Amino acid sequence: MARTGSALAITVLLLAAGPVLGAELEFYMTVDRDKVGTEDTFRCEIVVSNAPEGAVVQFPTPQDFEVLSRSESTQMSYSMGSGGMAQIRQIRKFTLVMRANRAGHLTIPAAGLQTASRTYKSEAIKLEVVPGRLAPDPRSQPKPPPNPFGLPPGFPFADDDDFPGAPPGVNPFDDEPGIPKSDSDLFLRSSLDRPEVFVGEQVTLSVLIYSRMDLMGVDSVTMPKLEGFLAQDIASPTNLQPEERSVGGVRYRAYLLRSKALFPLKPGDIDIEAAEADIASGVYPFSQRKMHRKSNALSLKVKPLPAGATNVGKWRLSSTTNSTDIALGEPVQLKVILEGRGNLKAVTLPKLEAPASFRVFDPQQTEKNQITKNQVGGQRTTEYVLVPQQTGRFEVPGLTLEYFDPETQQIERTATDPITVVVRPSTTGANAMAVPANNGTQAEPNARNQLVGGGLKSLRHTATFSEPRRPAWSTPAFLPLAIAPLALSLVLGAVSFVRARAGQEDEQSKKNKQAKAARKRLAQAEKLAGGGSTVEFYAEVDKALRSFLEARLSQNVTGLTRPQLDEVMKTANVSEAVRGRVLGVFETCDLGRYAPGMGDASARQRALEDAVHAMEVWP
Amino acid sequence: MIALTLSLVLAYTDQEARSLFTEANDAYYRQEYPAAIEKYQRLIAAGQGGPDVLFNLGSAHLAANELGPAVLYLTRASRLSHDDDIAAQLAVAQQRQLDQVIGAQETEPFLQRLARAVDDRLVTIGFLVSWWLAFVLLVVFFRSPAGRRTVLGLVTLIIFVAAVALGGVVGVHAWVTTSVQEAVVMVPTAPARQFPGENAKIAFEVHAGLLVRVMEDTGRYLRIRLPNALEGWVEKTNVTPL
Repeated sequence: MARTGSALAITVLLLAAGPVLGAELEFYMTVDRDKVGTEDTFRCEIVVSNAPEGAVVQFPTPQDFEVLSRSESTQMSYSMGSGGMAQIRQIRKFTLVMRANRAGHLTIPAAGLQTASRTYKSEAIKLEVVPGRLAPDPRSQPKPPPNPFGLPPGFPFADDDDFPGAPPGVNPFDDEPGIPKSDSDLFLRSSLDRPEVFVGEQVTLSVLIYSRMDLMGVDSVTMPKLEGFLAQDIASPTNLQPEERSVGGVRYRAYLLRSKALFPLKPGDIDIEAAEADIASGVYPFSQRKMHRKSNALSLKVKPLPAGATNVGKWRLSSTTNSTDIALGEPVQLKVILEGRGNLKAVTLPKLEAPASFRVFDPQQTEKNQITKNQVGGQRTTEYVLVPQQTGRFEVPGLTLEYFDPETQQIERTATDPITVVVRPSTTGANAMAVPANNGTQAEPNARNQLVGGGLKSLRHTATFSEPRRPAWSTPAFLPLAIAPLALSLVLGAVSFVRARAGQEDEQSKKNKQAKAARKRLAQAEKLAGGGSTVEFYAEVDKALRSFLEARLSQNVTGLTRPQLDEVMKTANVSEAVRGRVLGVFETCDLGRYAPGMGDASARQRALEDAVHAMEVWP
Repeated sequence: MIALTLSLVLAYTDQEARSLFTEANDAYYRQEYPAAIEKYQRLIAAGQGGPDVLFNLGSAHLAANELGPAVLYLTRASRLSHDDDIAAQLAVAQQRQLDQVIGAQETEPFLQRLARAVDDRLVTIGFLVSWWLAFVLLVVFFRSPAGRRTVLGLVTLIIFVAAVALGGVVGVHAWVTTSVQEAVVMVPTAPARQFPGENAKIAFEVHAGLLVRVMEDTGRYLRIRLPNALEGWVEKTNVTPL
C-alpha cells in the first residue's frame, strides 16, 4: 500500500475536565495497489484524523480516472496519554472506488483539506495502469465451506459435496461481473454457473440487472435462442427483488431477471448470445426513463459423455408393491420410483422383464419436477400392473438403471430389488355371483380369476407352405373350358343341320336305288318270260314290285294282303289309278302262280308290261 | 418366369420349411422380431408362403409396431383364409393406426363384399360343372322323343340359370380382383398431394397401415382413394399393393 502526505502534529489545549481530545491532525491519501488494469477497480482512501471543526475535504478530480463510488466512515478511538489523561482521536475516512480510463503511468492528483486557518494537501499518487484486468477473477475465488446444517449426505438434493462439479445452491448473485465502461449505473449481465459441463449435465444461465438507479420495472426481456440445449425455466420473477451487491467495491442493487437450466445436447464449444432488456427507471411520472440494455455473450465448453452413457445426472431407483401373495387373476401393482437430479425427461428406464406367466399392461407414468437451489430434478413414478396367468412362485427381476454421474465422472448404477410373488389358486371363479347380504343389499362380486381379453393372437404353429394360388378363373384352362360347351353345341347343331340335309338326299337316293333294284329284278323276271317255271316268273315279278313299293313307301310291305297294301298306299297319298294298276299286277301274279292258262308267253309278257307300267307311272 | 425359376430352385423341402417356420416362431417368442420376420420372408421368397406364414409375418411386424407391413401381410392372409384370428389381429393393427377416416362407409360395396365372401375356386368349379351339364342336357333334350322333353327341359333350364348365376359371380370376382386395386401405406407419414408432382400442394397426410384404393397410376405417383372418398396423389414408393 502506498501512503503519502504530510503528518502534521498540532497540539491543541483541551478542556480541563473530562477526556482530552487529541490535537494532532493527520491528512493523507492512499490507494490499495500500485499497479492496476484498465478493467480493475481500486480503492483510494483519504484519511483525516482530528480535523478541526468546519474542515472540508477537497477530493481529487483526476482526468484519467473515473470515480465509480464514494463513501465515508468515521471512527473514534480512546487512549490513555501520559499522566493518566484520556485522549480521544476522531478519524474520518473517505473511500473512492476508481477505475483508470486508459493505460500508462497515471497520476491521481492530490486531495485537499480546507480549514479555517489554512489548506492542507496530500501528495499525488502515481499508478501504473496496464490494459485488461490484473485482479483475480472473482469466480475463481475459493468457495465457502459447505453448510454444516444442510440436508444429510446421500439425499439427492442435499447441499452436501456430492456434486462438486455441480454444486447445489449456486447463487446467481455470486457472480461478480466486470463493470462496463459505459452504462455503469445500469447494466445487464449474463452468467453461467460453470464454464464447462458434460452433455446432458445441467448448467444454469442467469441474467441479472445491476443498478445504482431506482428501477420502475422491466418492459421486455429477450433471451438468447439457446440452440443446442434443452432449456427449463428455473426462475422468471414478475416482481424484481433487489439484493445488495458490491462489484469491485461499488455498491449495486442486483435483480435476477431470468434463470434457466440448460442441458447441452452435443459436445463442443457452444456460444450463447446476449440477452436484451428494456428497463424503465426513475420515479413515475416525473423522471421516468426507458433504457435498452444488452448483456454479455457467453461461451460454454461441452464435454462428450463416455461410451455407453445415455442417462446423465444423479439418480436413485426404488420400488414398492401392493402385495406379493395373491390369488390367481389378482393384479400386482408395482411402483418404480426414479428420483434424483438432472433432466428427468431424458432418462430412459429399462424395460420390465416380467415372468412369461404374467401379463404386463402398459405402465402409467407420473412425473413431478422439482427445482431445489437452482438444481433441476424430480421424481418419476412408473406404475406397472401385472396379472398372473398361472399359480406358482415367481420372481419379478429388479430394474437396473445406468447413468453417468458428472460428479464422479463415472457410470454409476442404481437398481431395485427383485420381488418374489406367490400366486395361489383362486378360491372363486371369475363369474362368481355375489351372495346377497343379510341386509338385502347386493354385495360386490368377488371376481378373482380375471381373464382379460385383448392383445395379439398367438402365432400359427403349423402351416401349409404353399404359394398363394392364383384365382381359379385366371388359370389357362378356364376360358377354354367355359367356351367349349358353347362351341361344341354350335358344332353339334351345325353337324345335325348338315346331316339332316344329307339324310334327306340319301333317302331319295335310297328310294331311287331301291326302285332301280326293283327294276333290275323285273329285268331278271323278263329273262324268265320266254320260258322256265311260270311260278318262278310271277314270284319274281311279285318280289320286284314289292321291292319297288318298299323303296317308294319307306315301309316293309312283305306279307301284306292286297287290301292292306291298298290301305298303305292310300295313306301315302298314292292316286287311285296307280293303286289300281299296282294291285292289278299283284292280282295277275297271284293268278299266274295258281291259275292255269297264265303260263304262256303272251300272258307273261303282258304281266311284265303291267309291272313296268305301274313302276313308271308311280309319282 | 425368372422369379418362378428362382423360387423353384430356392424352394425348401417340406422338412426344411417346417424347421425354418419353427425357428421364426421361436425368434418371435424371444421378441427378436427382425430375425423372425427375416425367416418368414425367406419362406415367402421361396414360394412357400401361405395364409399361415403370412399371418405369422404380419403378427411379427405388429409386435414390432411396424404397422404398414403388419396390415399388408395380415390383409393378404385374410384374402387367402377367412379366419377369426386374422380378423382379430387386423383389428388390433387398426386400433393402433394414426389415421381415423371420418365419414367412411361402414361396409364395402356389395360387389366387393360378394367377391370377398365367395371361394373363387368353388364358384369357378361350380360354374364349369353346371355350364357343361346344362349343355349336355340341352343336347339330350333335342335328341329325346317329344313325350319326354317336358321334365328334361325344366331341369335343363334350372341348371342353365344356375350356371349363368355362378358365371356372374365368377365375373364379379374377376372384375374386383383386376379392377379394384388396394394398397397399404408403408411409411410412417406419406403426404397426399392435390396433383401428381412434388411441388403440388399437400391435401392431407396418410400414415402407416392405412388401406387405400388405387384409382390411377402415373408411374411415380398413384391416385389413392380413402374409404370416405377422399382422394390424393402419393408417391408409389410410399405404398405397397396388396
